Amino acid sequence: MIVSESDSDLVRRAQAEDLDAFCLLAERYARRIYLLASHYCRNSQDAEDLSQEVWLKAYQALPSFRFESSFYTWLRRITINAFLNHRRSSFFRRHGQTTAVQLVPIDSEAPETFHPYSPENIYNKLLFENVVSALAELTPSQRLSFLLRHYEGMSYDEIASAMNCSTGTVKKGVSRAIGKLRARLSPEPEEPETLEFSNAQL
Amino acid sequence: MHNCNDTRERFTELVLDGDPRAEKLLDQCEECRAEFESLAATLRMTARLRETVTPTEAYWTGYHAQLRSKLEQFHAKAQRLRHAKAQREELKPGLGFVFASLRKPLRLCVKTFLLPVPVPLSVAVLAIVLLFFAVRAPQQPTPLPQAPVIVQVPVEVPVVQEKVVTEVVYRDRWRIAKPSRRLVSGRTTESTLARSQKPQPEDMLSGFKPTDEVKLTVIKGGSPNEK
Repeated sequence: MIVSESDSDLVRRAQAEDLDAFCLLAERYARRIYLLASHYCRNSQDAEDLSQEVWLKAYQALPSFRFESSFYTWLRRITINAFLNHRRSSFFRRHGQTTAVQLVPIDSEAPETFHPYSPENIYNKLLFENVVSALAELTPSQRLSFLLRHYEGMSYDEIASAMNCSTGTVKKGVSRAIGKLRARLSPEPEEPETLEFSNAQL
Repeated sequence: MHNCNDTRERFTELVLDGDPRAEKLLDQCEECRAEFESLAATLRMTARLRETVTPTEAYWTGYHAQLRSKLEQFHAKAQRLRHAKAQREELKPGLGFVFASLRKPLRLCVKTFLLPVPVPLSVAVLAIVLLFFAVRAPQQPTPLPQAPVIVQVPVEVPVVQEKVVTEVVYRDRWRIAKPSRRLVSGRTTESTLARSQKPQPEDMLSGFKPTDEVKLTVIKGGSPNEK
């Protein structure tokens, strides 16, 4: 019977320069960090680079971890700082933004049943591209506030503390982000088809 | 009393938190309910994206292998730096004074030029430059004897200035002619008139052209009191 070690044990081992322990921690949380990065960056290559940079920074800062919060909370703080720093250093590619994520349902146990061109997957792909392009229209701070609130479930106070701004600013940013997304993603009301004829034709 | 503006301001929080009080608020206004449903649908769409989309397992294998490689490189680099730091600590008692004396000017230098150069690197660069000059100095050829130095010294040179002195000498008209030195020396004298009346050789008048006009100049007086 394999008993998975707790985060605290793994962190202690990693602090004693056990690279395997840190890699186990990375395997636990890499997907969450990557998904956050992929929604923030809009580009899979940037997301990969940024999420790996987060892990490198975490490894570098690991000796300063004092177990005052959970490991993931501490890691998320590093992630937010990395996102903000990359925003400042104009890290993201402005040209040729692509979304090259292969879509696989999480609950698909048997890969052979996955059909990439099934209607559901085509719908998912279109939905993904639509949402990513909608997120791309937000400002970086609005996008980050929205992702942290909506995906990570952080409170406004936590976000404000992490982003070093006021709670009101975060609230306003999230509200505007949702408003923009709604305007972009909500189906447009169908206009009644009308035939226009000019007077000359009549 | 229901207020649409107040209700809609709270929509974001109600939707995100899944607050059960939302139903009570929305029962009072159909427009607010429609607005709320639209907002909730948008958020469900973005949430579904997160739940259903993820890279394949093959991707994660490569991702973790790449991350491990980066971490190993970082770990090795950190160990090298730690080792170098330990060595520096050992050398510190001997070279402590040198490092301490160099630290302040180097920091000032770095701050002045805003270059993020680490102190050990700058010390190493300085040492290399000094070593380069130290090695190069004996290889240099013997210096040539110094060229004569030209010194410009202003010298005053006396310049002889000619001075024209004009003096009017009046000769006594009735002066008795005294025997001149030539007479005394025994040489024959010849008056000007006699000399002019002597026949001149023709070749001396060659090219002479007499003028048409005769100019007479009358010189008055000869004595100093004559006016």
